Amino acid sequence: MAVNEKGILNRLYFIAGCMFVFGLAVIFKLLSIQYLQGDKYRSMATERIVKDVIIPANRGNVYSVNGNLLATSIPKYDIRIDALAPSNKNFEAYLKPLCNELSKFSGKPSNELEKQIRQARANKNRYFLLARNIGYSDYIRIRNFPLLNLGAFKGGLIVEQTTKREHPMGGIAQRTIGYERWDEQGNVTRPGIDGAFGVKYLRGVDGKRKKQQIGKGQWKPLSDANEVEPKDGYDVYTTIDVNIQDIAHHALLEQLEKYKADHGCVVVMETKTGEIRAISNLGRNKNGHYYERLNYAVGESFEPGSTFKVMALMAALEDKVIDTSTIVDTQNGRKRFYGRYINDSHRGGYGKISAARVLEVSSNIGIATIIDEHYSKQPEKFLNRIKEWKLNMPLGISIIGEGNPDIPEPGNKNWSKNALPSMAYGYNLELTPLQTLAFYNAIANNGELVKPRFLRAVKEFDEEIETFDKQVLVKNICSNETLNKIKEILKNIVVRGTGERLYSETFSMAGKTGTVRTEYWMNDWEDNPRYVSSFSGYFPVDNPKYSCIVVIHKPSTEVGYYGADVSGPVFKKVAQKIFIDTPIVDEIETLNISKTSVDNEYESFYKTAQTYKTIMPNLVGIPAMDALALLENMQVDVKVKINGRGIIKAQSVNKNTKLKNNQTVVLTAS
Amino acid sequence: MQPLFKNIKGDRLIWAIVALLAILSFLPVYSAASNLAYKGGGSNTFTFFVKHFMHLFLGFVIMYGVHKIPYRYFRGLSLVMIPVVLVLLGLTMLQGTTIEGANASRWIQIPIVGMSFQTSTLASVVLMVYVARYMSKIKDKTITFKESILPLWVPVFLILILILPANFSTAAILFLMVVMLVFLGGYPIRYLAVIIGSGILVLTLFILIAKAFPDAMPNRVDTWMGRIESFANPEDTEADYQIEKAKIAIATGGIKGVGPGKSLQKNFLPQSSSDFIFAIIIEEYGLFGGFVIMILYLWLLFRIVIVAQKSDTIFGKLLVLGVGLPIVFQALINMAVAVELFPVTGQTLPLISSGGTSIWMTCLAIGIILSVSAKREEIKEQEINEDNPLEILSETI
Repeated sequence: MAVNEKGILNRLYFIAGCMFVFGLAVIFKLLSIQYLQGDKYRSMATERIVKDVIIPANRGNVYSVNGNLLATSIPKYDIRIDALAPSNKNFEAYLKPLCNELSKFSGKPSNELEKQIRQARANKNRYFLLARNIGYSDYIRIRNFPLLNLGAFKGGLIVEQTTKREHPMGGIAQRTIGYERWDEQGNVTRPGIDGAFGVKYLRGVDGKRKKQQIGKGQWKPLSDANEVEPKDGYDVYTTIDVNIQDIAHHALLEQLEKYKADHGCVVVMETKTGEIRAISNLGRNKNGHYYERLNYAVGESFEPGSTFKVMALMAALEDKVIDTSTIVDTQNGRKRFYGRYINDSHRGGYGKISAARVLEVSSNIGIATIIDEHYSKQPEKFLNRIKEWKLNMPLGISIIGEGNPDIPEPGNKNWSKNALPSMAYGYNLELTPLQTLAFYNAIANNGELVKPRFLRAVKEFDEEIETFDKQVLVKNICSNETLNKIKEILKNIVVRGTGERLYSETFSMAGKTGTVRTEYWMNDWEDNPRYVSSFSGYFPVDNPKYSCIVVIHKPSTEVGYYGADVSGPVFKKVAQKIFIDTPIVDEIETLNISKTSVDNEYESFYKTAQTYKTIMPNLVGIPAMDALALLENMQVDVKVKINGRGIIKAQSVNKNTKLKNNQTVVLTAS
Repeated sequence: MQPLFKNIKGDRLIWAIVALLAILSFLPVYSAASNLAYKGGGSNTFTFFVKHFMHLFLGFVIMYGVHKIPYRYFRGLSLVMIPVVLVLLGLTMLQGTTIEGANASRWIQIPIVGMSFQTSTLASVVLMVYVARYMSKIKDKTITFKESILPLWVPVFLILILILPANFSTAAILFLMVVMLVFLGGYPIRYLAVIIGSGILVLTLFILIAKAFPDAMPNRVDTWMGRIESFANPEDTEADYQIEKAKIAIATGGIKGVGPGKSLQKNFLPQSSSDFIFAIIIEEYGLFGGFVIMILYLWLLFRIVIVAQKSDTIFGKLLVLGVGLPIVFQALINMAVAVELFPVTGQTLPLISSGGTSIWMTCLAIGIILSVSAKREEIKEQEINEDNPLEILSETI
């Protein structure tokens, strides 16, 4: 095959031409990427590389009235290891020491940990969990462990920080302190104070910062400052008193456990201001343990039973249709009303008793008779009283989920001829514990109905953003006359009525028991009777400071179910402990009691010391101790000799004489 | 400097183009190094700068040395080197370095120096010289297909088979270059068709065996298939990651580019300082920078053609083309990958990309070209009577 130069060159021009065309094609494609697809890829560039990072604002704290932390946000850390990141050398060198340290930290055996981490490396696990949900100091400790102290790239350390809401008081009042929680579907639950004020005050405003990606999973801030600075949430100061809360919580818990009840609640409210000092809601779980499950006190409307007799009697007294001394025939404990029997718990009945006594012994028949007799023709009049006392509407408190009261009216499907007498002793209507308490508080507060309150102030550091004051719902629920009568009866209930077992000589309290059937519409009630026991009242009787309600649902009837037995002791314990244990009561106004004689003596001593520097003062009549001090502190150096002790009687140098150095002064004291 | 310039022989413009490319290469390599330095932990970007400088310096030493060797010696050298290269390739393959389970044994460690070396690149140069030697040897004979099998195609296929498992693209390009060279050398087209056919057959066989017995030997068949599929498939796949980043880089570059060192995509493009350096150049220096690079390579192509044209011997011509055209071709492939004209391969941009082997072997090839053109100068100095106007023109361009 004869090859000549010309042939080679011709073929070369062909190939070089092809390459040139290829080069042109590259340039054409380059231009097409820049101009035809350019916008798409340019937008992709910013989209992929720059992102807005949310800088979460710190959620505000929730404080008790005493300044204790009830809820706060703290950083928590999850520590993981990228088991593939460390080099073989580092891995082998530091794995054992690391596992030893981890073992000390977590208590797991070191060789077990070593096995797991080796396994993770073999499985190419780049996300192996070492510790979850640890605090800052533990995080610092783990970060300095062998291997992990080499950092993310060489040691494989992965740290993830989350913010957790902590309740330093633990389970106490958890439901009322509350939280804000999102589930996977993005639904939010907001119980309690934290939930109610989360959006408005606690949450703050999240900041924003633009970040640019500088590698896989690595981002750097794009500019020096945040695009939007995060604004921390405000702190919320509640009215909860941790001491009282603690008392209420444990008193309730003890009683719930004793009576194996389903659930219960206690609310303690300051009479004058309506501030809730304690609110405890405990429910039983499957294992029989009690914890804060739902805010029963706020959310659960139920038939109040006998505690409502107070309202009924007050309506009758205020309308002056009866007086406390009006005699009511309670018959023999069983009376027929419009085809239905009403029974009294006391077998054989109470016979003919006064209206006041009706309430003291909590006679269903008695109160039903009074109300039916005087209001059956004009039920609106009775209902108007209830409306006047705002018992037909929610209190409008700040916490989400307040239960609605249910007061039937003529025309409703619940209304019948029996409705009115039933209502008189607390059936056929529903109230929440907090509503009942608010009414009892009004009695204690000389007729002023105040709205229960959970918040005192919202603060940003020390600056008050918003303060919450007493809110009066009804200025006077009734005349003073009625008020005094009902107060007297409430006092007597504890002295000689259904609450007499609670009576204590050392301190006074007033209140009304309530025992009401619940779920009586169910078929199995006869076999398994269920009750709600409650006690509502205030203490001390004179000039009441707190009002309190205790409601316990479904106590075991084998142990007991009467309001006085089940709920009453909780009330008593709370009242007793507040007055015995809380330091507030033992507060002493001032320790600086000034005495004029002491002040005068001090004044004259000071004056003498200031005046006489080189001249002998008159020391007669002052204590030897003071005389010595005066002489020795003079500008001249005198020798002092004291004979005897006590008050100076004579001095060797006369007063107003000039003293010399080393001169001896003899003082005689007796 | 004067004695150095005096000693520089051969086509001055090739020297200039190569020097220019080498100088320009510092900009993108240094820029792309920041990501490597960041990921590498303790090291800093300047180490990469120094390393690149050392590579280039050594490359120029090689180039200078080689261009001093009269090119006729390369005939015999290639004959000697073929068995050496085969041994080296065999060693490389046995090393069995793997990337995520796929065979990627392309490098061997040079003892003592502690540097790694990509044997296939050396093999390419040696093979091209060898083929040029063979084609020039048979230039006056009429040769049958059978006669050419043992001296030409057996070494070619041996080398290709050894490169193929670890590096498909290098093997394919080398095959293509060999075919191109024998075509230039006047090898009958009908024989070429047989060779191309058998080449495809071997490849198919290899892929089938690899698919049938995936554990029989480590290979990268899945990677190739994935790359080719992702190239053919217009929908976005995971394998499109690199090319998408490259296109983002190109699109953000615009006409003037974002400026030296300001590339963002270098952080995301794997191999941003070698395989995808063209995209980074365009991002930082825009179309302008891209055009400059392209023009330099096309100019290099032009100078290679001129040198080949002017070489007196068939061996000289084929030698220049055999080692010269692959440089330009590889550069075009690299740029074509970045603009998605070609599926992703591991081809570097000669003289620009970081990486010792690539730089040294390119310098070796350029040295050979310069050696051929230097020889021509020698002859010219002896007989200054030629005044072909075309030649005078080509000297000056």
